[in-house]
Amino acid sequence: MFGLRLLWRDWRGGELGILASAIVIAVAIVTGISLFAERLQQGIVAQSNNFLAADRVLRAAAPVNPELLAYAETVGLRQAQILGFPTMVYTGNDADAAMQFTSVKAVSESYPLRGQLNVSSEAFGTVTQSTESPLPGEVWLDPRLLPLMNINVGDSLFVGEAELTVSRVIVTEPDAGGSFYGLGPRVLMNIKDIPATNIVQPGSRVSYRYLFAGEIAQLDNYGAWLEDKLLPSQKWMSLGDVQPRISRSLERAEQFLLLAGALGVGLAGIAIALAARRYSERHYDYVAMMKSLGATSTRIMTIYSSNLLLLAVIATIVGSGVGWLIQEVFISVLQDYFEVTEVPSISLRPFTIGAVTALVCLLSFALPPLLSLQAASPLRVLRRDLERSGVSNAFTYGTGVVGIAVLMYWYSANLVLTLAVLAGVGMTFAIVGVLAWYLLQGSAKVGMQAGSSWRLALASMRRRGFQNAVQAVIFSLAIMLLLLLALVRSSLIEEWQIQLPEGTPNHFLVNIAKRDVPEVEKILSDNQMSGEPIYPMVRGRLVTVNEESVKAWSAKTDPTVEDSVDREMNLTWSDVKPSDNVITAGEWWPAGASVQEVSIEAELAKRMQVGLGDSLSFLVGSESLNVTITSVRELDWESMKPNFYMIFPPKLLQQYPATYMTSFHLPSEEKRFLNQFIRRFPTITVIEMDAVINQIRTIINQISSAVELVLGLIIISGLLVLVASVQASLDSRFQESAILRTLGAKRQLVLGSLAIEFSALGLLAGFLAAFSAELSVFGLQEYLLDMDYVPHPWVWLVGPVIGAVLIGAAGYVTCRKVVNTPPVEVLRDL
Amino acid sequence: MIIAKNVEKNVDTSEGQLCILKGIDLEIKHGETVAIVGSSGSGKSTLLGLLAGLDVPSHGAIFLDGEDITQLTEDQRAEVRARLVGFVFQSFQLLPSLTALENVMLPAELNGVAGARELAEKYLGRVGLDHRFNHYPRQLSGGEQQRVALARAFASQPKILFADEPTGNLDSTTGAHIIDLLFELNREEGATLVLVTHEHRLADRCQHSIKLDAGEIVADDFRNITAADSAVTADDQ
Repeated sequence: MFGLRLLWRDWRGGELGILASAIVIAVAIVTGISLFAERLQQGIVAQSNNFLAADRVLRAAAPVNPELLAYAETVGLRQAQILGFPTMVYTGNDADAAMQFTSVKAVSESYPLRGQLNVSSEAFGTVTQSTESPLPGEVWLDPRLLPLMNINVGDSLFVGEAELTVSRVIVTEPDAGGSFYGLGPRVLMNIKDIPATNIVQPGSRVSYRYLFAGEIAQLDNYGAWLEDKLLPSQKWMSLGDVQPRISRSLERAEQFLLLAGALGVGLAGIAIALAARRYSERHYDYVAMMKSLGATSTRIMTIYSSNLLLLAVIATIVGSGVGWLIQEVFISVLQDYFEVTEVPSISLRPFTIGAVTALVCLLSFALPPLLSLQAASPLRVLRRDLERSGVSNAFTYGTGVVGIAVLMYWYSANLVLTLAVLAGVGMTFAIVGVLAWYLLQGSAKVGMQAGSSWRLALASMRRRGFQNAVQAVIFSLAIMLLLLLALVRSSLIEEWQIQLPEGTPNHFLVNIAKRDVPEVEKILSDNQMSGEPIYPMVRGRLVTVNEESVKAWSAKTDPTVEDSVDREMNLTWSDVKPSDNVITAGEWWPAGASVQEVSIEAELAKRMQVGLGDSLSFLVGSESLNVTITSVRELDWESMKPNFYMIFPPKLLQQYPATYMTSFHLPSEEKRFLNQFIRRFPTITVIEMDAVINQIRTIINQISSAVELVLGLIIISGLLVLVASVQASLDSRFQESAILRTLGAKRQLVLGSLAIEFSALGLLAGFLAAFSAELSVFGLQEYLLDMDYVPHPWVWLVGPVIGAVLIGAAGYVTCRKVVNTPPVEVLRDL
Repeated sequence: MIIAKNVEKNVDTSEGQLCILKGIDLEIKHGETVAIVGSSGSGKSTLLGLLAGLDVPSHGAIFLDGEDITQLTEDQRAEVRARLVGFVFQSFQLLPSLTALENVMLPAELNGVAGARELAEKYLGRVGLDHRFNHYPRQLSGGEQQRVALARAFASQPKILFADEPTGNLDSTTGAHIIDLLFELNREEGATLVLVTHEHRLADRCQHSIKLDAGEIVADDFRNITAADSAVTADDQ
């Protein structure tokens, strides 16, 4: 009861303000970030899984064992099935019926499990969204098919022997990106009609996809159960397998959020430590007094620890509330991007994380300074000059470091990340501490020659040399963490945007006949859509490597290679190296050369364990083609440009029959261009990737905004550290200012010297922060985020400037009280 | 009530060991008023700290109410202080974040005494501060602060009251009022009063005066006055 009253009195006396707000902020940051990350994750995963039309997909070349599906049913997963095959479709059975080569996709009624189909009731008509799929007897068609076959919605269409009714036009499918080389316009039908078609026979080219959706834990468990039951031709796929770009961005964003969260808590922890230290210093005499009145040290500790615990409980409740609000604000800010169709479920985990964070922060940051209270001697009531004894700084900071390490490891479950950040912070402390000490000594000497405000300021800096060096380290740590996050954030976002810059090709044209090439080229360039060259494609098969069969070679090297190369490959020829390919070994052939050479893609070369000088033999048509590898190329498979494993000199392949392909960028407002184009070239296949690219962009924008908002949160805790740190030196400043003013110093002089002192400290801290931020970014990008490091000259300017301005302002505002209090009041309290 | 036997206090300094008190033998009886006098640096405050159990001597023994406090741990001494001792200090030692009333309630609250508030109100009223309950120390004059300190000291109803230069920070008129109040309260409560002072006027009102010089007792005089006599008011003098 007495403890409670003590807590209330401290609160009323303003002693607990910073301590309580530091705990509230720590809790709010972690709770807010975890809540937000959880919702973002759920939202984005739900949205990204549109690429699969499910959460997971089991791909197979033949129907899977029904037991696998039955088990999925028992664990509560939702399921759908897809059957895909290329086939000719007809408008009728008579001789003059129109026919067209198509890609048929037969789906079960629950398709799609995630995402929607964009459909229309006429070709190129108004698009609406649908989560339904064709009913038995119905067929939905690619809009191109209608003019090509001269049919309309309501007409009938033969797929094999089944006569189906065209009931809708299908504009996009959620899992379109997955069927990249499913050439031919889409025909979507119900899987129940498949037997009637009589097309699917043993040995026909049919691919099977089994779609699953459910809770992440259910999916993971099922995936683990499935693992040893899969045949080599079956593959369990998640988003990462289909869209590695999104999956990577999400992973990095998550790492960033965690890193930011941990640093935010670290900053709040420093604020807690500083506030607790000041609290315990101010309570030193209080405790001495209580002891003289007969309180035992056990009693004192009971009072203070239970107070601390109570404070933690209150701060956790308030912090959780604030965290919830933060998350709500984030979500509402992101609403434009964020198409949350169903409200994601919120687990208790973020709140548990918040509560544990509060407890660990208090134990590691606040308890040590309070422990030192126990050692307060009651004799201090008689002798104020008595030295304060107690817990050493090393112990205080040591427990703080252990506390934050435990928290970081707990949040991230990533030992490397934890150690890297701790090492960075530790190095900053050591280097910056030493530098700060020397710079402060030096500046004080220089200042002696300057005007009175400056002289006073610099003398004051030197007098509190050690205290200021510690403060400079804390300031520069705070600024460094802010710069660090800003740097990592901007390079993450830049990298994401570079991946898919404006104007990225979003449509592919394949199956261009040789005779159409000049006209296609002209149309594209007339409409300012050209960009990528038109590449010829010749189908060929690799038969031997260094005189050994592909089978024998891959058995010797990497058995999975056989799956990749023992099939028809798209070969191309060119005299010019594709502009975004990089030669990593060997040389490109001179234009017009008639040489038996090939240029191979680097990843494939690595897997096949071949390099310069190795010989390959291809079968093109019925002729064999022997070549030597003379160059190895690196390329970006996700660039949305035509990419090839093998490129030959023109003279070697030109004589074989080829079709042509290219990619181009079509702005969304000019989508109508495609209608005319398709009518003009009915045999060319257009693959529309714009919907996929837009979706990827949207997701990346979401992640970027999330990252920016979190950075904002961290800045708040950085500022809190600054204020706590300035407050820590407030007491001695009160005395000094009172004495100076008693001796006749004007308010202006004292204020001026305070502003100068803090700005100079900030400038120094900012400079040191820029140095350590660059160092840490280098480490993080090179070793953790797997990105290339680029120096950032601007931090060397921005660091010192924000340091001087922020710390100058924080110092000025906090210390204004110092000069506004009459000196006599201060001196009477001494 | 208080017995010191051959008490010695040494401290370590950079120039070797410094002897602050040596060969101190004294006895203070229950209800006695005692002044410890001497010049600055003679060891008065150190002796007070030892007698009150705030510190331990280097040698010798100190008995409070028959118990040798030099054999006790700090926590055990704290219990003895809680039971027997009250303090008044030169610099008042009020806690700035507490109101006058809360400062006075503090000892009773710490010792879990019921009715701390009523007790505190009674003593604050007794020192004439009924209208100042909710004022903070910074809102009170020096004299008022010392009166709060007196109320706090007596509110714990101590058997022994230690006062360290209780008027040292006050002007003479205010100081005289405080002294009157101190003796008056002491007489009413029947406590043993040990005060450190260098004011003869104050020492003269005590029954027993111990003079220190360079850490040794150079005079130990008894005056033939009663506790009632010493409680004359400043106006009567």
